[in-house]
Amino acid sequence: MSLRIASRRLRLPSQCSRSFARRGFPQSLKPLQEASEKNNAKTTHFGFETVPEAEKEARVGKVFSSVASSYDTMNDLMSLGIHRLWKDHFVRSLNPGSRAASQDQAWSILDIAGGTGDIAFRMLDHATNVNGDNLTKVTISDINPDMLEEGKKRSLQTPYANSGRIDFKVGNAEKLGFVADNSIDLYTVAFGIRNFTDKDAALREAFRVLKPGGVFACLEFSHVDSSLFNAFYKRWSFGAIPLIGQVVAGDRDSYQYLVESIERFPTQKEFKAMIQKAGFVTPGVGYENLTGGIAAIHKGIKPV
Amino acid sequence: MALRRCRIHKLSPTLTGKKCVSSTQSAVRTYYSIHHPDPAPFPPIQAQILSTALKNVPRLGFSRDALLSGCRENGYLEASAQLFPRGVYDLIHYYLVTQRLALKEKVQFQQDAKLGLTQKVKTLTWARLQANVDDGIIEHWQDALGHMSLLENIPASLKELGNLSDEIWYLSGDTQVDFGWYTKRAQLAAVYAATETFMSTDRSKDYADTKEFLDRRLGDVRVVGGTVGGAMSYMGWIAGNGLGLARSWGMKKDAEQQPNNLVGISLFGNQDEVEAMSRLKKKLSSMRNNRS
Repeated sequence: MSLRIASRRLRLPSQCSRSFARRGFPQSLKPLQEASEKNNAKTTHFGFETVPEAEKEARVGKVFSSVASSYDTMNDLMSLGIHRLWKDHFVRSLNPGSRAASQDQAWSILDIAGGTGDIAFRMLDHATNVNGDNLTKVTISDINPDMLEEGKKRSLQTPYANSGRIDFKVGNAEKLGFVADNSIDLYTVAFGIRNFTDKDAALREAFRVLKPGGVFACLEFSHVDSSLFNAFYKRWSFGAIPLIGQVVAGDRDSYQYLVESIERFPTQKEFKAMIQKAGFVTPGVGYENLTGGIAAIHKGIKPV
Repeated sequence: MALRRCRIHKLSPTLTGKKCVSSTQSAVRTYYSIHHPDPAPFPPIQAQILSTALKNVPRLGFSRDALLSGCRENGYLEASAQLFPRGVYDLIHYYLVTQRLALKEKVQFQQDAKLGLTQKVKTLTWARLQANVDDGIIEHWQDALGHMSLLENIPASLKELGNLSDEIWYLSGDTQVDFGWYTKRAQLAAVYAATETFMSTDRSKDYADTKEFLDRRLGDVRVVGGTVGGAMSYMGWIAGNGLGLARSWGMKKDAEQQPNNLVGISLFGNQDEVEAMSRLKKKLSSMRNNRS
């Protein structure tokens, strides 16, 4: 299966430009080839492909621009609706919001790669309804303006649209210029970090912006423990998901990229070590597996 | 008091709820040694926050407020409560572990005092129960017991109870290496759990009722153990009679057969009874073979 995918990628551009033209990828690969010759020093992975680092950001951008409007539908189809349970559990276990009624106890939350606002709206709901905190604020940051537009549209359906508690900012997680040092209580990234070019840089940036005692929390696809369950899961991922993408959204390649990027993500223990390397203290085991390891929540606390 | 003898059969320290390692260490010691100090049971940041939180428990109870007060007073944020994935139970677990480890310092037996094993066990158990009172925890102990009995916390709570029972027996100088090791610890764990639950509702002066309760429970254990031991001795005597009867019927000494599992008898009987029972079993089975 992987050989077939690899051989597809190795086709010459001239032979496949017609088929690519119909998909969400760049119309011509020539400018990208020239660029890659200039920056051929550092490469990274884009799914199972190896691409120059400078190119990955643009290609990820194209993937998410093409899936933005049907993002939730696709998530529902891919995870059979379980992604909602994962996100609910993620927010509930973080328990954002303060029972104390004062402004200085209110949390300031930064949600990275949270364009469509799934996590941000859940955080605000939890803070307001469970903890009675009307002052906690969330800043949603995403590198892709189309996803942020989708998020702004959805925020109009929530009570927080013009309340001053939500803020949308375009930005790169590896370089958050608009966030001051030591200013965030809770930094979350849900299903975003596997798309980052340099995860270590993002972790270091998270360490910078968090207050001492602040929490880094990451919800991401991860590796399944049981090898039997893993066999079924991989069959579903590589067989069914690109097919669903092709049938429902007309975009097989984006979803092929998505499942390949899940495969290339570090294991739970490796990612925990990366979090510790950035300076965080990981509580307990350091991660929590969801649905047998299909997704995992990683947490780290910035020491005082 | 020779407390420094080799504890070859102590429960491994890694059986406590958390591994004895900080989040940055990777080595976990898998053996126990009295010649090398135990690694700290909790990582330093968590230990610092939980010890502060514990000081606030008499006022705030075993609640999230106590945990958050511990975070705040050490310069951490409310969000830092994420350090404790089990929430309030982490605070209770910390209390249980630190009180158990403090028993060694609290109770020092004099070398020359001629105290029996039972008396030492009673002193240590009472010292641990008294610690609940001294720290002002006892008013909130029913809440703690409630948290400990939640389904996800039961394994860790039972483990801590077993560890405490083991600690008390060890500090009183128990060196028995047969199956009684397990029964003694199980009995003491049951007695301790019952006494602590009783104590949480006791309103008598200086918890005198609890002390009497403890005496009665330990007495029960002694009586029941003695009764069962007596019953086994009686059965051994009957077996000896059966042996004599079999010999009078013309039973001869036969080839030895595989001894059956006699663990149950070795619980309460002594060596003679064990041997008598094993001989009787061999004779009876060889008699069966002769007759068939």
